[in-house]
Amino acid sequence: MNLPPLLRKMLLIDLIKGLKVTFNYQAPSEAITEQYPLERPVIVERYRGQPRLKVDPESGNSMCIVCNLCALACPEGLIVVKGERNPVTKRKEPVSYTYDLSRCMFCGLCAEACSTDALELTQDYEMALYSREGMVLDQKALEEGQQPVPYVK
Amino acid sequence: MLDAITKYLGSNATPGEAGSMLWATIYILIITVGISLAVISMNWLERKILAHMQIRLGPMRVGPHGLLQPFADALKLLIKEDIIPENADKLVFWSAPVVVVMTAFTTFLVVPFGPTHAVTDMNIGILFMLGVSSLGVLGIIMAGWSSNSHYPLMGSLRSSAQMVSYEVAMGLAIVCAVLMTSLQTGTGTLSMIGIVQAQASQHTWFIFKFFPLGFLAFAIFAIAMVAETNRAPFDLPEAESELVAGFHTEYSGFRWSLFFLAEYAAMLAVSSIAVTLWLGGWMRPFPNWMSGSTWDLAFSFFPALTLFVLAGLCLLGTVRMPKIPQMKIQTAGLGIVGFLLGFVGLVLLVPAVRERVQDIYWFVVKVAFFMYLYIWYRGTFPRYRFDQLMKVGWKVLLPTGLAVLIATALWGLMPQLTSAILGVLQ
Repeated sequence: MNLPPLLRKMLLIDLIKGLKVTFNYQAPSEAITEQYPLERPVIVERYRGQPRLKVDPESGNSMCIVCNLCALACPEGLIVVKGERNPVTKRKEPVSYTYDLSRCMFCGLCAEACSTDALELTQDYEMALYSREGMVLDQKALEEGQQPVPYVK
Repeated sequence: MLDAITKYLGSNATPGEAGSMLWATIYILIITVGISLAVISMNWLERKILAHMQIRLGPMRVGPHGLLQPFADALKLLIKEDIIPENADKLVFWSAPVVVVMTAFTTFLVVPFGPTHAVTDMNIGILFMLGVSSLGVLGIIMAGWSSNSHYPLMGSLRSSAQMVSYEVAMGLAIVCAVLMTSLQTGTGTLSMIGIVQAQASQHTWFIFKFFPLGFLAFAIFAIAMVAETNRAPFDLPEAESELVAGFHTEYSGFRWSLFFLAEYAAMLAVSSIAVTLWLGGWMRPFPNWMSGSTWDLAFSFFPALTLFVLAGLCLLGTVRMPKIPQMKIQTAGLGIVGFLLGFVGLVLLVPAVRERVQDIYWFVVKVAFFMYLYIWYRGTFPRYRFDQLMKVGWKVLLPTGLAVLIATALWGLMPQLTSAILGVLQ
């Protein structure tokens, strides 16, 4: 409608148009809310979340060879690796591997530096914890990864 | 005792007119409980409708579709710590919410839910409502001043400036409607019941009277009443993004919920003024077009039908509820509510009850429409700036109101005026 501006103002045309828009959006099926614990969001492939140390599925040993490259690559210096050579297999195996998640900025440089692809940043995102100490992940936590409690309504 | 109760039921007057103290008390109790329930359901409806307008879901967790959310909120507010700021003026701080709630609820004394369903029929009904609801400003200023904090003070100043300036336009619009009551009978009335009866005797709702004058007066009132109750888009006093929460920033827990209750009660009160003055109060829609006893009978089934539809929705919800142990109590509760609603609907089908209740039903439906409008505005319009607000009030609504008032008076006097002019000419 091409009415003169004064008439548009007097008849509140623009306000009524706005009211029409909000009225039409009212169907609950239009809602795009994601009911989080019930529905889980789709995480994109390249998302960098909780770190994880891979275990060789055949032998059950850690794939980490304690080369210390991840610790060197980390700009925050939050990875500390200690290893020992296994006298039987002659392989170097991690004795303790700690990853301080509270200081991590998820740049992914550690995972890129890893020579055996043992360390990766997964798409898991539920990293909230009750204590600061718990943010320092040890080798066991890193290998197990996240085990979220399933939500039951 | 029983005699006193039944004696009133036979009479065809409001409790105030019949001089029945007992029934007046019963009416007051019913209205108080009814308004509190309406406020509770408004709380849920507002969050839900607003959420849907903004493509969200709103409360979903407490009860089916968040139906029990208002009760959870009320419980939370009741057990919250009650803080009074250290340097606050304790007495004024304490009495401000009381004043606000009392003024908001007192206005309902004269609201006519039906020809006999009002606590009393005051002959200055509309004046009483306006006067008492204006007293609410006092409570707001008290709250803002006694908090001894700058945000509440500024909020209350804005609020009182706004309420006072919109009251002028509101008053002019109301005078238009009061003028219309005097037109055919010759004697105007300020009584709320009298105004509706005038619309009945003139066979028109005042919104359609002297088109477009009645409609213009109604539009002025409809805008002014939103400003009067401090709701969006005129919600400057409680602008969340500017003043934290306006005049009740320092209030917490139960005192805060009293302000909440008072705000919604005031919304209901001004909506019922609008319904009484322009939308024919308790009269059913289309009284002229669909006249006759058959239509009367058909329209009198509406209250029961509405309850049956609600009951049906509840039972449908019960059937569709997920069959898991955690939801057992909710499912049973919803089913019980469904059956209760159905039972009440059946009671409303009884002819004696039907005749007495349908007035209340139509009044409530019209008020509910206004409440929906409030939510709709809030979901749509951005907030006015303070100077824009004052401009709309003083430069647009006030002159229009004056013009409509004069035009209404002239139109009403048309027969006398023409005869006088003709007399002069001859």
